[in-house]
Amino acid sequence: MTHTLTAESVAYAYESASPVFSQVDAAVRAGEILGIVGPNGSGKSTLLRVMSGLLRPGSGRVTLDGRPLSAFSNVDRARTLAFLPQAVNPAFALSVFEVVCLGRYPHMGAFGALSAHDREVAERCMRHTEIEALETRDFLTLSGGERQRVLLASILAQEPDILLLDEPTAALDIHHQIELFALLARLAEDGYGFAVVTHDLNLAARFCDRLLLLTNWRETPISGTPAEVLTGPRLSEAYAAAIRVDRHPVTDAPLIWAETPAGNGPSAGGDGPPLEGGRS
Amino acid sequence: MTRRGRRFFVALVVAGSIAMVLLSLLTGAEPLSVARAWREWRSGIPMTEAPTLSILVQQRMPRTLAALLVGSGLALVGCAFQAMLRNPLATPYTLGVASAGAFGAWTATVLMAGYGLTRSILGVSSVQVFAFVFAEADVLIVYFLAARKGKVSPTVLLLGGVTMGMLSNSGILLMRYLSDPERLKMMDHWLMGGVDVLGYGPVLTLLIGVAPCMAILLAQMAKFDQLGFGVEIAAGRGINVRLLQTSTFFVGSLMTAVIVSVAGPIGFVGLIVPHAVRSVTGSRHRILMPVSVIAGGGFLCFCDIVARKLLPGETPIGIVTTLLGGPFFLYLLLRRRFTDWGA
Ligand SMILES: Nc1ncnc2c1ncn2[C@@H]1O[C@H](COP(=O)(O)OP(=O)(O)O)[C@@H](O)[C@H]1O
Ligand SMILES: [Mg+2]
Repeated sequence: MTHTLTAESVAYAYESASPVFSQVDAAVRAGEILGIVGPNGSGKSTLLRVMSGLLRPGSGRVTLDGRPLSAFSNVDRARTLAFLPQAVNPAFALSVFEVVCLGRYPHMGAFGALSAHDREVAERCMRHTEIEALETRDFLTLSGGERQRVLLASILAQEPDILLLDEPTAALDIHHQIELFALLARLAEDGYGFAVVTHDLNLAARFCDRLLLLTNWRETPISGTPAEVLTGPRLSEAYAAAIRVDRHPVTDAPLIWAETPAGNGPSAGGDGPPLEGGRS
Repeated sequence: MTRRGRRFFVALVVAGSIAMVLLSLLTGAEPLSVARAWREWRSGIPMTEAPTLSILVQQRMPRTLAALLVGSGLALVGCAFQAMLRNPLATPYTLGVASAGAFGAWTATVLMAGYGLTRSILGVSSVQVFAFVFAEADVLIVYFLAARKGKVSPTVLLLGGVTMGMLSNSGILLMRYLSDPERLKMMDHWLMGGVDVLGYGPVLTLLIGVAPCMAILLAQMAKFDQLGFGVEIAAGRGINVRLLQTSTFFVGSLMTAVIVSVAGPIGFVGLIVPHAVRSVTGSRHRILMPVSVIAGGGFLCFCDIVARKLLPGETPIGIVTTLLGGPFFLYLLLRRRFTDWGA
């Protein structure tokens, strides 16, 4: 069965604050990667929290296969829908393997015993994210990028159909960034659905089927295919920076880059001195 | 730690605790002959005419049971509070329950001395009733401080608990000031805790107050793993974080209040046992919690044996747990890497 997670004109405001967004429509479909992009503080993480059922939308609704999220039991929801937050802050030491096994929670019995099947799933997910070599390491001693891959493995071990990932590539090196997106693309072909928050617009352009661009001043995001969303004027407005969109000479995908702000160090392509002064 | 190593450790803890229970039954002011107790049992004479058997059944058994229940209960609440507050320094007393209970006990003593409070209320000693009521009042106050609009803040729980504890402590000082010197010694003894219970009444109180709460906490083992790892990720995996925090808070505090009201504020067990176990088994609560329960019971039996034997007469057990536990805890701190407790 293919699953769809839909947000219909959802709005959200934190306590006594102005709305982060209103009127957001978004759909995460099986077989697709939805990219969520936008400047810092534009509400990307908030949107994922709302879509994962952690926060209740102020208005509008979030449905999974047509049923409102609130109609699911927590565990039923977690078996279909997984959420990887932007940061975790473990209070106790756990090994990498233990962390990956935590993902099996929605499938466990009451006392949390791991079956042979649970272990197999965990090991498969560790292979997917290339962390087998870290298996016995203490999670807290890993580098930021290693941690992100371990977390991704633990979310995959949950065996959900739809995954909401908040900046999964933020700390990854260029090899693992591309590996991660390639892995997501492969899994999407197998029928998984993804919503991925990322700051890497070039990767988003290459791998996402649809994009949602949140901004700090519009309450409704811009949505569409990467080609529709990633235009110079739109991005320049959203990020309040001079952003150019060219064509990649090899892949022909959009190539997004920002011009250096005027009077702030070397100009694009120039070889002037490094930034010095220039800020008040 | 390998699975085999872990099994070996668990076996060791179980064997050690059983040994402590047996030793506790045999230890006391005078040595107890098992053979004679057995003969008295076989002969079927009434308890009143069987001195050895009656010591065993009327004194040693309730005392040992009380030590087991108190030790395992405190160790379990320690584990649960550390997970709930996501803070490895949390103890059953972090939220001020012990100090509030002690304050209640002192208040009862002063009221009994000068203001006509009866010695017992509905068959339970007034000191116990007051200790329990004050402890529960502390729990409610701390909870209402920390709960806002569908959320419980662990930080406010901690700060509120510590502040309530300090308030109670100054209340204790006031009560001490108001008491006559006769009572001071008796109450100081209470404040250091003890499982020297008389008969089965207190054991029954402990059993009713502690056993169901332990069952509830143990049933949450898998959830504590998730909560300890991260709040949002736990919620995403289907855990009702607020319900888990609230129920753990109330169940753990209730249990602690019952324990404190019966045995006084016995220190350190709830901190040191979970950490000692954690340093061997790791932080998966499915292993950590049951092993801590067994180790906590055994450890308190051991401390109670020492309390009976260390000095002529009885040493308050709270002194023993701290004297034995403190250096051991320092040793753990020296030996372990800091990441064992997260960061
Ligand atoms: N718990 C919170 N309470 C109040 N405001 C918040 C909270 N979390 C985020 N915000 C605010 O909501 C806005 C969107 O935040 P967030 O969704 O984290 O942005 P992004 O992930 O796009 O960087 C920001 O202005 C942020 O300051
Ligand atoms: Mg964010």
